[in-house]
Amino acid sequence: MKLFGKKTVWLKVLTASLVMSLVAAACAAQTETADQALQIANSANSAAAAAQAAADAAAAEARSVQAGAAEMQAAIDVAQAAAILAQSTAEDNEAAVAEAQADLDAANSALADATVAAEKAQMEASAATEEAAAAQERAQAAEMEAEEAAQRAEDAEARAAEAERTAAGTQEIKLAILSDCEGAFGAFHEQDIAGVATAFAEYAGATITNRSKPTDGFTGASVAGVPINLVGIGCADDTAEAAIRETRNLMENLGADIMIGPLSGDESIAVANYAKDHLNQTFINGTAGAQDTTLTVRAPNFFRFNGDGAQWNAGLGDIAKNTLGWETAAVIGDDYSFAWTSMAGFIAEFCAAGGDVISRVFPPLNETNYSGFVEQLPDPDEVDGYFWAVGGAGLIPALKAFEDAKGPVDGSQHIGNLFWGTPGQFEQLGGRVDGAYVGGFGIAGDLKTANANRHMEIITRHFDEIPFGGNPAPASDAHGSGFFLNYHNAAWGLIQALEAVNGDLSNNHEKLRIELSQVVLDGAFGEIRLDENRQAIQDQFVQRIYTDDEGNLAIRTVAFIPAVDQTFGGTFDGDPTPSRDYPACEERDIDWIGNARTVVDGIIQ
Amino acid sequence: MNLTRIAEIFTGKARPGVSGTDYSQRTKRLVAVFFVVLLVMGLLQAFTPGPFRHFFVDFVLTQSLILGIAASSLIFLSAYGGMISLAQVLMYGMCGFVVGNSVTTLGSKGLKLGLNPWVGVVIGVVVTTFVGFVLGVISSRSSGLYYLMITLSFGVIGTYFFGQVTQLSGFGGVNQVRPPGYIGEPDSATNPERMFYTTLVVAVIVYLLLRYVSRTPFGLTLQGVRDDPVRMNSLGYNVAMHRVWAFTLSAFVASLAGVLYVWEWRSISPTTINLFGIIDLLVIAVIGGILMLEGAWLGAFVFVALENYVRDVLLLNNWIGEDRFRTLVGAVVLVLVLACPDGLVGLRRIRFAIPMSIVGGVVWGTAGGVVIGSGGAISGIIVGAVAGIGFAGLLNLVKEFDWANSMAGSLGKYRLKVSAPRTD
Amino acid sequence: MTDVKLDEGAREPSGRPGLTGRASSHYRRIRTMGWRQLVPRLLLAAVLIFIAVWILFVTEVSSAQAAINEPGRFLRSILDSITNASLYFIVASGFTLIFGLMRTVQMAHGSMFLLAGYIALTFQRERLDINQGISPEQVSASNWLLPLIFAVLIVSGLGLVIQQVFLRWNAGQDLRQAIITIAISIIMADQMTANFGGVAKDITWPREIHGFIETENFRYATHRFFIIGVALGVGGLLWLLLNKTRTGMVIRAGVDDTPMVQALGINVHKVFAVSFALGSALAALGGVIGGSHASLAPSVDAEWLLHSLVVVIIGGLGSLRGAAAGSLLYGLAKSFAPAYLPASLTNYSIIATFAVLAIVLALRPYGMFGRAE
Repeated sequence: MKLFGKKTVWLKVLTASLVMSLVAAACAAQTETADQALQIANSANSAAAAAQAAADAAAAEARSVQAGAAEMQAAIDVAQAAAILAQSTAEDNEAAVAEAQADLDAANSALADATVAAEKAQMEASAATEEAAAAQERAQAAEMEAEEAAQRAEDAEARAAEAERTAAGTQEIKLAILSDCEGAFGAFHEQDIAGVATAFAEYAGATITNRSKPTDGFTGASVAGVPINLVGIGCADDTAEAAIRETRNLMENLGADIMIGPLSGDESIAVANYAKDHLNQTFINGTAGAQDTTLTVRAPNFFRFNGDGAQWNAGLGDIAKNTLGWETAAVIGDDYSFAWTSMAGFIAEFCAAGGDVISRVFPPLNETNYSGFVEQLPDPDEVDGYFWAVGGAGLIPALKAFEDAKGPVDGSQHIGNLFWGTPGQFEQLGGRVDGAYVGGFGIAGDLKTANANRHMEIITRHFDEIPFGGNPAPASDAHGSGFFLNYHNAAWGLIQALEAVNGDLSNNHEKLRIELSQVVLDGAFGEIRLDENRQAIQDQFVQRIYTDDEGNLAIRTVAFIPAVDQTFGGTFDGDPTPSRDYPACEERDIDWIGNARTVVDGIIQ
Repeated sequence: MNLTRIAEIFTGKARPGVSGTDYSQRTKRLVAVFFVVLLVMGLLQAFTPGPFRHFFVDFVLTQSLILGIAASSLIFLSAYGGMISLAQVLMYGMCGFVVGNSVTTLGSKGLKLGLNPWVGVVIGVVVTTFVGFVLGVISSRSSGLYYLMITLSFGVIGTYFFGQVTQLSGFGGVNQVRPPGYIGEPDSATNPERMFYTTLVVAVIVYLLLRYVSRTPFGLTLQGVRDDPVRMNSLGYNVAMHRVWAFTLSAFVASLAGVLYVWEWRSISPTTINLFGIIDLLVIAVIGGILMLEGAWLGAFVFVALENYVRDVLLLNNWIGEDRFRTLVGAVVLVLVLACPDGLVGLRRIRFAIPMSIVGGVVWGTAGGVVIGSGGAISGIIVGAVAGIGFAGLLNLVKEFDWANSMAGSLGKYRLKVSAPRTD
Repeated sequence: MTDVKLDEGAREPSGRPGLTGRASSHYRRIRTMGWRQLVPRLLLAAVLIFIAVWILFVTEVSSAQAAINEPGRFLRSILDSITNASLYFIVASGFTLIFGLMRTVQMAHGSMFLLAGYIALTFQRERLDINQGISPEQVSASNWLLPLIFAVLIVSGLGLVIQQVFLRWNAGQDLRQAIITIAISIIMADQMTANFGGVAKDITWPREIHGFIETENFRYATHRFFIIGVALGVGGLLWLLLNKTRTGMVIRAGVDDTPMVQALGINVHKVFAVSFALGSALAALGGVIGGSHASLAPSVDAEWLLHSLVVVIIGGLGSLRGAAAGSLLYGLAKSFAPAYLPASLTNYSIIATFAVLAIVLALRPYGMFGRAE
């Protein structure tokens, strides 16, 4: 209780005023230096410009002389040509030979004269060139000097900016990460944190505390001279309530300025709504994929550098209709925002391509007794295929209940969303899913591009191990993980924006917000930019499960759809949002249908 | 009721003849002081700069008071009516959903009626109280653990109801519920302490109301029903109706907590009222002390502080990292339940518990503060205090335990002498 | 609580006058029941008949169609109900055993279930040296049975430790014991997430059990029949234990009157310990079978705790027959509600499932076979 006592109040006020005056003094001094440096820089710059001009003039002169010489040479050529012509004419008329010979002699003498003249000109020209080179050298030296001066000026400016920030109270930027360490996605906790940590280690000079345990955090990160402090890692459990509790702890208790997170659908809707009420802080989505988060809530300070559940499924409906030849499909998925969004992507595209969804089944979240729900699905001979958006604890029991009731799961008759394609998860599904197409996560672990290789290098450079689900796992495993990728991209986008604004968070992060919405990431699996709702426009990949030579399940990328946006080719506008019966099944025009590029052995064709 | 009477009730002078507990006046007065201290603390915070201010007052204290109100409705039923109801979480959640559906306009799930916030409050409280009456009628025939089970099933049905009826909520819940302007600005960064004062006032009113009711003829009859329903029945009292009305009153109180909850969080989802939510409230009531109203707020404060501050604990953080803080929450609850049979309100009656908890908190907190920082200090204080209580309990156990008998295998004396033998 | 014996006296005013002399026995029964009991019963009968007619003939609008048109689906739904009921029974019988004897609401029962599943899963995968989904062809009977035995032994041992260390000296304090087990379940859930990960995994049935019975219109899994068989075995053994052995007699006596048993010089606490270990073993058995039937993941523990609670609430606390009847009713509701509700209501199937619970409790506050305390 002493913490709130009267004494502390006065102490606080005293300390605060002391700090403030110190800061103000330092700031004033810094500003003066900066001005001086700027002046020097300016004068140096002008000197350099003058030198450059002189050099230019010399070079021009030299060039003109050279041109004169060339003209002379041309005249010689003409004369020679004339001689040859004359000779050829003379071949018929011997009488004229002597005359021609005389002419030739004359031409030759003229040639000799011209050659002498040309040589003289050439000498002159080379002298001019030498002179020009010397001038250029001088100019270069001047330029370097100017650059140095400019550098000094810049440093001074940076110091001045820092001083300014110090005065404004932002000596450091406090960063928080919100992820799930409990619940259905608890296994990915270390991957999430590792994604953020590698970004800061790679792009902001951070030191990883423990190369085998990402949750130990990182230190020493700074952007544009502003230190970035990781103040806390939130630990939610994929429920909206826990997400808000943890967010409040991170933002209000630990005083974070910027938060990266949360992880899952309902959490992100709650956090985006929270963001709307806290405009003095900035939120960057971790890897949540509910559509409402950005398309409906539209918090001005909530950014998402990953696609939503519908975007991730781009290409699946096309494949179902046109590659697998399904005319009808049944969909089954968890009864909550992310699964609705995920299904919406499949339904919209499948129906747009001319297919028909004849059954939609929604077991409640975390159900494990699926027999009654599987009974709602049509039998395999009544429908061409099934789309699954069941996740968490439910997917395995749902597949087993399907097998028990309707016969073996045949890979070509089933398509899953990202829960079928996330490394660490799909291996648990067993051989039954072999051959199934699966929705993407904005990721293609087997892609062979320079950026993808670089992504792998970045991971292994900063981590030896990234534990998964309580067990140690080599860091390279995270390469194919969308959880890692999305948290990584979120942090990377943040760093780029912070660099652009020199870490300036003044005026409710105004500059940062503008920069964040303009960030373009040259991402590991394609370029990412944000739309006007601060939602990623992202390249998407369709993947397929197969059994590798050793008999283990593995996943390969089969199709590529560039730059998928959140409206899904104009299908969604945020009102209504995906739900049990939205979108309805109707034909539309989605421009990537039939235009997806195939991917063979990790190379986009 | 005049002011003197209120003061009497408040300070515990107006002690009724019939009471289920044998606590001294001092304990009650201490808890009354607890409220005053909270108020003073809140006032101080309003004028104190610093990062600690917002979160501690706006969230930890406010949330403790809200959960305390909900828990007090549970404890009221238990202490005066002998009914342990697990439907209180449903009651406050239901009110939250009704308010949410009434007042939200855009960008949320639910009916989005867009009513005036105060109208929303009235609808929420009335609907919840009415549902409370109906549930009270259904459950009035059972008692004891069956009562607990039935109300638990109400709670679970409620969770699934709001989860599956997407017209009202869906699993994602209702968002963007805004309190009226007097209580919270649209941007909650401004004037956040208003919410705290509102909650504090409601908490005090609820406390006084429940204490007052327990002294009315109705309250006294209810206590009679608790102690001997058969005799009360033969005396001509309608036992079932007393239970129904008690449950309805508790639903009303819980609905107030629901209004405050949804204002404070600005959202509510079925996960708030699921099995874990139900269990949390029960834990709050029991570690606070299920036999005394005051235990509600004490338990809520400890629980909320635990959930929010226990992260980096010195000596334990190699074993239990930040991401495993729920293990610590469980361990603390376990120690408290084992060491304080009557909850924290009965702490005074356990020898050495208070001094030991102070010593433990100071030592561990200081060490944690030095090694880890402010987070380590707060975590250390909490864990140290609980460890102190646990240690005191253990000491008493070792001292009082009938070792000879235990070894001989003659059983039945397995009880801490520090806690009075109980009849339930 | 001492306030429990109110009902029989308090609820019912004296029987209605008149019609005494020449009333038939049937008539007399109705009279003694009283209208307040008769009306709900008639209503219940009407509801049951309506449901039966609905399922058999009407359900054109539901996804599973009317039973006379699609007998295969109907049969499958019935078998699904029994399979699920069997699993519920295995787990809930342990819960009800512990409650019946010791009045302990074992809130960590779900955690025991999940822990046993994880132990068996880890053991099975260690033996096969595979760390991904395994197909049944790769699993021999011993690779399923040994993990099962191992898990059951460890978890019943853990149950014993919990009972001896935490619960024994709190005997008689229901609520406190419940909170103690809640705290234990919080710790266990968190530690299981930490050590076994958050990804859903499943134990694989051995090839001897896994398979299908197929005819033209009907297909059902043999491993589901196996679950039914295990449940019947468990029920039978428990019945034998409780009715034919001395320990069972002591347990039954302990359920009725613990102090009296103690006064007879019987070491009740040994019986308590045995029962608690047995109850935990049943949770563990359910965990391994449930982990093979469905999956293991965080939150599965809470779900199975809920299943156990619901079953014993419907059936009546502490009653083995009640656990069986409750499981069956709950299993029926769980399988039929999603399949046979009209398609427009099918998304509210869980509410319908719990409506069954509400109806039972409205008619019988102490469950189907429960007794007032």
